[in-house]
Amino acid sequence: MDPAIVRVLVESAVKIALFFFVMLTAVAYMTWVERRVSAWIQDRRGPNRVGPLGLLQPLADGIKFLFKEEVTPPHVYLPVYLLAPMLIFVPALVTFSVVPIGPSLGLLGHRIALQIADVDNGVLIVLAFSSMGVYGVALAGWSSNNKYSLMGGLRSSAQLISYELAMGIAIVGVLMATGSLRLSDVVAHQIEHGWNALYQLPGFVIFLTAAFAETNRMPFDLPEAETELVAGYHTEYSGMRFSMFYMAEYANMITASALAVTLYLGGYHVPGLARLGLPETAAALVQVLAFCVKVAFFLFVYVWVRWTVPRFRYDQLMNLGWKGLLPIGLAHILWVSFLVLKGWV
Amino acid sequence: MELLLGLIGVVAVFALVRSFLPARTLPAGAALGAVAVALLAYDYRELVGLEFWSGLIGFVAIMSALMVVIHPNPMVSVLFLILNLFCIALFFLILDAQFLAVIQVIIYAGAIMVLFVFVVMLLNLKTEEGLRLGGGPQRSGAIVLGAAFAALMFYAIRNRGEAPYFDPGPSGPGFGTARDLGGLLFTRYQFAFEAASILLIAAMIGAVVLAKRKLR
Repeated sequence: MDPAIVRVLVESAVKIALFFFVMLTAVAYMTWVERRVSAWIQDRRGPNRVGPLGLLQPLADGIKFLFKEEVTPPHVYLPVYLLAPMLIFVPALVTFSVVPIGPSLGLLGHRIALQIADVDNGVLIVLAFSSMGVYGVALAGWSSNNKYSLMGGLRSSAQLISYELAMGIAIVGVLMATGSLRLSDVVAHQIEHGWNALYQLPGFVIFLTAAFAETNRMPFDLPEAETELVAGYHTEYSGMRFSMFYMAEYANMITASALAVTLYLGGYHVPGLARLGLPETAAALVQVLAFCVKVAFFLFVYVWVRWTVPRFRYDQLMNLGWKGLLPIGLAHILWVSFLVLKGWV
Repeated sequence: MELLLGLIGVVAVFALVRSFLPARTLPAGAALGAVAVALLAYDYRELVGLEFWSGLIGFVAIMSALMVVIHPNPMVSVLFLILNLFCIALFFLILDAQFLAVIQVIIYAGAIMVLFVFVVMLLNLKTEEGLRLGGGPQRSGAIVLGAAFAALMFYAIRNRGEAPYFDPGPSGPGFGTARDLGGLLFTRYQFAFEAASILLIAAMIGAVVLAKRKLR
């Protein structure tokens, strides 16, 4: 084979393996963070028995999940029932592959982009895969053959369709300012002209709200509202299959946070870093670290909001999506196009 | 050539078997899939690079389209339709139309099929309901038309000559990107583009008026 192709293949394989390792570890530790921060907000202690500060708790949970019995209820539609957890987990991971986590890095005489795939339609691929995530939830609800699960699945598909539109319209503002669908260009534009969140605040708020709805997190967790629907779409799942839903929720949160950072908070950009004159590798490391800190902040916000804002009623959810976010999003597009027309961004 | 003939043969046999026997669809599909993969593997020297992939994707597209029609469970039919739309997106991709490929996934596989899933879930259709082929004129009509189509395909393949199985045609740098496509839409095809948008908004308003008639 052509050595250039071999190089690309090896480089991508290494990046993907690393990414899997980091992502799955982050997902595991997100469960720990969620429980510790929840406990802190509610003035409890949280998991603190397994290892120092309870840091080995995710490991213990993982082992427990592996040894749990997988109960398959007799009334499920088996092929779809088995497919659904995978359909929800895979898009959550795949979306991250187009997000740049740092600048390109000179290593062993090669330029290496700190991004799995720098594709021309990066933003669209994000939207495409986030729209795939709905099938996992809807099909899990349907194939479980259980009223509560079905209601959860139905709610989730209606919710995801409504908020995908708002999210898309918020992203349009970013794309108009950037003039490119490539996520690395979006970051480069923000490094040059300032972070998008500064002058696209409405878009940023809409994006965040829609991201909460897309990840089924607290003010919008109607698909699994335990007071009404037992556990919603994953009522009939147990053992490792349930844990796939559980992990997918956190993987989705991490991906959504990374996207919010990339689209609105300058990605890996650190203001004033160029003036320090650090060597290239050190600067790149600082920038990757900055990216991680920004993402961690959003993950904290996710947990924070969970214990601050109560769950919406279904009609409130639909009103907010269609009569609130959508018109504001359209007005916001006008505002951004005015800025672009004046040449201010 | 053997490959395509083989594929058509497999599909024809599958359709015949399925229309006369209420057989288990998934095992039958898996067996026929294995046969087709074996055919592909046998013929792969002739199909290199894109030709190989287009053959494979084409096969999956045909099989999934077939499953949409013959599977007794409406929800599984919807899932196979999603798979089929994905295959079409992959076809766009190997034709260098990357923007269209992603849009195909977002609009069809993402948005429209979610509505299909939604409707099937709400209607709670009974398995096999109204899915058996009607007797008499419908069946004989299907057989005649199917035979005519198979003959047409056979004729086309026989007269293929030296043309390759798959020819993506010319495409320069920037071909198929959003920038390129947008430029064309707002210059050369502006009238068609705006006319389509007016049509869509008329349809949208019409749908709202029809749906909200009772509330007035």
